[in-house]
Amino acid sequence: MSAGLVSVLFVAVALVAVGAFVATWKRDLMSALAGLPLMFGGAGVAFAGAARFSAAGDPKIFGQEVAALVAVAALALVALGVGIAGRGTSR
Amino acid sequence: MDSLHAIGFYVSAAISVGGGLLVAFVPGRGARGLAVAASGLGIAGLYASLSADFAGLVALGCYAGCALLIAAPRYRVVDSPVGLAWRQAGAVAAAGLFAVLAYAAFRGDFVEATYRGGEIGTAAIGRVLFAHDALATAAVGALVFAALVGATAAWRVRERGR
Repeated sequence: MSAGLVSVLFVAVALVAVGAFVATWKRDLMSALAGLPLMFGGAGVAFAGAARFSAAGDPKIFGQEVAALVAVAALALVALGVGIAGRGTSR
Repeated sequence: MDSLHAIGFYVSAAISVGGGLLVAFVPGRGARGLAVAASGLGIAGLYASLSADFAGLVALGCYAGCALLIAAPRYRVVDSPVGLAWRQAGAVAAAGLFAVLAYAAFRGDFVEATYRGGEIGTAAIGRVLFAHDALATAAVGALVFAALVGATAAWRVRERGR
């Protein structure tokens, strides 16, 4: 059993698509916000996979760097969205 | 990638995508937060199986934070004014996006080579973050700062309005 670049990209695509689905399908905007980290995670997986399978010579860590930055950005955006969320009833 | 890493990759992929689907369909903020946490665990596992251990650790912490924010009692329901037809169109568009990107992933390939990393490599990533790509790191730092300031301001305005 092995996994190559195409497998990694398929998983990344699935995560992005599921995140987009969550963001568009949920009626509650706060629930839709939960799709954001999924999409960012998909992008990060694609970067990490490209870095993993394109490494020639010295280790290429650009993809890992972007993946870490994307995870932090996802957390920041969710925090901002939760903070900006309007008044409503707790569910 | 050896068999052990491949098994870890596919298990993590199932957990992350399954958790994402649960985010879409489970009711309640607590269950939704758990689903985000499960998805984040899967994504961290994906990073680990791709020899990106440091990114996996960062992602684990960040997705735990996202899950806490989504499941927190501070959660407020904000109904979207968008109608059902538009949401259904968005869901279909998400399926179309998946089809297009999956086709691109299937067609996309490039030369593979031996990966010589294999360790967490925090020092190397730190050098790239703070030396080579300092501008991007500063941009993300500014984003985090703006997000925290915005969240604090929004919370204060909401508390004052009560």
